[in-house]
Amino acid sequence: MSQIDNETFQGLPGNPVLLSILVVFLFCFFGLRLWYLQIYRGDYFDRKSRDNRIRRNALYAPRGLLRDTNNVLLAENKPSYALSLVREDCPDIEKTLAQVAAWVQIPLEQLRKDYVRGKKRVKPFANQILVPNISFAQVAIIESHALDWPGLKILVRPRRSYPQGPLMSHILGYVAQANEEELNKDSNLALGDNVGKIGLEYTLEGKLRGIKGLNESEVDAAGRTLNEKVLAPSVAGEDLTLSVDFELQKVITQALRPHAGAVVVLNPDTGKVLALVSEPTYDNNSFVDGISVLHWKALLNNSRHPLQNRSIQSAYPPGSIFKLVMAACGLAYGAVTPDEKIFCPGSYKLGNRVFRCWKRTGHGWVDLKRALVESCDVYFYRLGETLGIETISTFARSCGFGRPTGIALPHERGGLIPDSTWKWKRYGRPWQKGETLNVSIGQGSVLVTPLQMAVYIGALLNGGRILQPSLLKDAPVFSRGDLPFDAAIRERITAAMEATVEGRHGTARRLRMKGCRIGGKTGTAQAVNLQEKYENKDTEEIPYRLRDHAWMASFGIRGKQRYVVVTMIEHGGHGGSAAGPVVRAVYEHLFGRESK
Amino acid sequence: MIDRRLVSHVNWAFLGCALLLMGLGVLNLYSASALRVEGGLALDPYYRKQLIWGGIGLCVMLATMLFDYRHLKSLAWPFFILSVLLLACVPFFGKTIYGAQRWIGFGFFNLQPSEIAKISVLLLGAKLLAKISDKLDWLVLFKVMLVGIVPAVLIVKQPDLGSGLTVILLLGGMVIYKGVETKILKGILIVGPLLLPFSWFFLHGYQKQRILTFLNPGRDPLGAGYHIIQSQIAIGSGGFWGKGFLEGTQSQLSFLPEKHTDFAFAVFGEEWGFVGALLLLVLFCMFLYQIVLTSQEAKDQFGSLLCAGVFFYFFLQILINMGMVLGLMPVVGIPLPFISYGGSASVVNFCLIGLVANVSMRRFVFKK
Repeated sequence: MSQIDNETFQGLPGNPVLLSILVVFLFCFFGLRLWYLQIYRGDYFDRKSRDNRIRRNALYAPRGLLRDTNNVLLAENKPSYALSLVREDCPDIEKTLAQVAAWVQIPLEQLRKDYVRGKKRVKPFANQILVPNISFAQVAIIESHALDWPGLKILVRPRRSYPQGPLMSHILGYVAQANEEELNKDSNLALGDNVGKIGLEYTLEGKLRGIKGLNESEVDAAGRTLNEKVLAPSVAGEDLTLSVDFELQKVITQALRPHAGAVVVLNPDTGKVLALVSEPTYDNNSFVDGISVLHWKALLNNSRHPLQNRSIQSAYPPGSIFKLVMAACGLAYGAVTPDEKIFCPGSYKLGNRVFRCWKRTGHGWVDLKRALVESCDVYFYRLGETLGIETISTFARSCGFGRPTGIALPHERGGLIPDSTWKWKRYGRPWQKGETLNVSIGQGSVLVTPLQMAVYIGALLNGGRILQPSLLKDAPVFSRGDLPFDAAIRERITAAMEATVEGRHGTARRLRMKGCRIGGKTGTAQAVNLQEKYENKDTEEIPYRLRDHAWMASFGIRGKQRYVVVTMIEHGGHGGSAAGPVVRAVYEHLFGRESK
Repeated sequence: MIDRRLVSHVNWAFLGCALLLMGLGVLNLYSASALRVEGGLALDPYYRKQLIWGGIGLCVMLATMLFDYRHLKSLAWPFFILSVLLLACVPFFGKTIYGAQRWIGFGFFNLQPSEIAKISVLLLGAKLLAKISDKLDWLVLFKVMLVGIVPAVLIVKQPDLGSGLTVILLLGGMVIYKGVETKILKGILIVGPLLLPFSWFFLHGYQKQRILTFLNPGRDPLGAGYHIIQSQIAIGSGGFWGKGFLEGTQSQLSFLPEKHTDFAFAVFGEEWGFVGALLLLVLFCMFLYQIVLTSQEAKDQFGSLLCAGVFFYFFLQILINMGMVLGLMPVVGIPLPFISYGGSASVVNFCLIGLVANVSMRRFVFKK
């Protein structure tokens, strides 16, 4: 101890309290902070830590399958891959988006725009879908780089597929990614979800969609999933069977091509739709993954309007088949009796104007039945003049015309039954008597859809009930009202329709088939008022746009089988010759080949 | 060399605190090393290494208790010169880890010269200050502070701002404990805060980043702000009772960065809650208070100043680390004694504890 410098004790160095104060300060300072973090804001941080590790993700519900009446699959679900991003896991979003754009070959601008727009709809730590559908090859590339790009995740989701493609497009419609408006309206929809846009997919959305489930998983900081737990299983959408017969649909489409037009086949007693064809058509599969702008424009600008469902969305002048309504109206109001004969000289004079019958030489003396069978215009000119437009329009409306039939498809049109009020509103001019004559033979302003006409023919057969047409096999029969005339009149009209097929002068002679009762009525509706120069020309010699629309309304009965078939061929020319073969093909399929 | 009377004067409360802290540290490291993986927990061997280093530290502590601490006065200068030389060597022979050149490799272990420098500054500071009888005036203050400034500049250049500042603050604490003239104290209190903003221009980019992030962690939650945010979430989500041992989700799922080193206290706070964290804080305060007591009871100025130095050594680390973990200070890479994993830190800690115990057990030598 000798080396130790034995300084004398000089008393304590200064500030003996300083150190103690520092200790007390340390305790108070951090003690308070701990209280603040752990007690005062403990719940908040607890939630934060849960958000960190607990991820809740949707379990996708498979959309309900659609089948035809014979169980042919019409709409199904196939697995598809979507690329999603959890932005809280992604260290550099801009770089990641650039890489994604390179992988899937979409412009970065587009991707960034979608990302920014979608961001606010996605909860923190949830998957935001960047690319709704990527190919298997792309999945392989992305998966192999997964570790370098934290936050990116590939989701497997059910994707809608329509195995029958264009043949069913007008009925089924399609699903596609929900847009801004749909997302705002329905809180159950998430970004990237598909939703029915048109057709049955649209109207049956509530039944088909199902309910998404919820999955909870624990993840670590690198986004790896450790434990998974299903909180709520998803509920699959309802599988539905349609009343539509796909085989029939196919036969009709083949018979109708290459014409543009529509064919409706109904069961008159139930209102079930067996076929609803509109040509030309489109492939609904191309909409599911988002249709390309080019393809979309091509469809929109196609002069034959393939997106138009002609059976319900197009209203045409009915031409002579409107005489089926006029005849009923005349009988119901007592304007004519069945046996009353009118002389047809080939034209009818109203004031200074001459209204001609299609048969220039005239029909001679015609009663109601002959007027229908041979489609005498003069008979109905006179009848129309007697009845007046108000009576005709009221009657036609109570027969179901001028309003949608109520079929479960969107954008159905109601057609048009004109009257003087309508004329005033539309043109600001009074109704002319000549127009009444035009309406009496289904020309002028009167417009009906093929489906409306089918429902009317069905009502003639089923005891006068105007049924709401239905596409679902199990849907109950729903009557929207009764025809405003009695059974005797209905029978007279259906008898006249049968005579139109069976009679020597009937305009629908080509429908005649052995072993079954078939009734029909042709209609040749002017699309435009033809100029003189095209008069008496054959259909082929007239430019397509100016050609007449060809109608054929018919029913066929064999034993218990009862059908209504209505065909409309746009610019097809004469009803009997253009629409007839198509209708015949339908009955041949329905009643079997042997009935030829 | 050691007689029975000295053994009976050992401050057992102090050593008990230290051992308890070390025990809690190892326990906490056991949990902080655990990673939750599919099908259970995976353990890193950090707690075991820490235990070994603790053992080595205890041996070093015993060794430092054996001789009379006054012998250190004569060793203070040579030790200081050695440590400055080591620091000067770092730019030439140093190992670069995490972009900073702070270590010198000795094959089986890496020596961190800044740790040595802290002890040497502490010793030399105590020696120089003990010689001065009056309160310090400007000239003396400058001379004394030079002892800290030389190694501090070398350390800051590594770059290791945290350790450099610790050296200055450590010495500064000792100086103030010793006592300076009132006008100087006033001067420092006024000029210091005024000069602080200018230090901004001497900071590295990443250091500026850290300070900006501290002021607003939300500006980059996945980058610079991540540490601060996740650490507070860990502590805060512990609540009153904590999530339980080995139940800390923030740490086991790796949301908490540096969880076995700088942010080990966050793991503790998450798993043991307010109760546990407060208990640990109390334990630290008791530990510090024992050092304060020893400094009061020391038989000479050197011993008293030595204790004050050790006090500031621990106090500053606790203040800075807990302040950082609790989101009250910018992120500075300073470990929490006993709780954070660190080999040389453990050895140095126990070495200093040994010094305090040494002073404490010899407090009666001259008072008979």
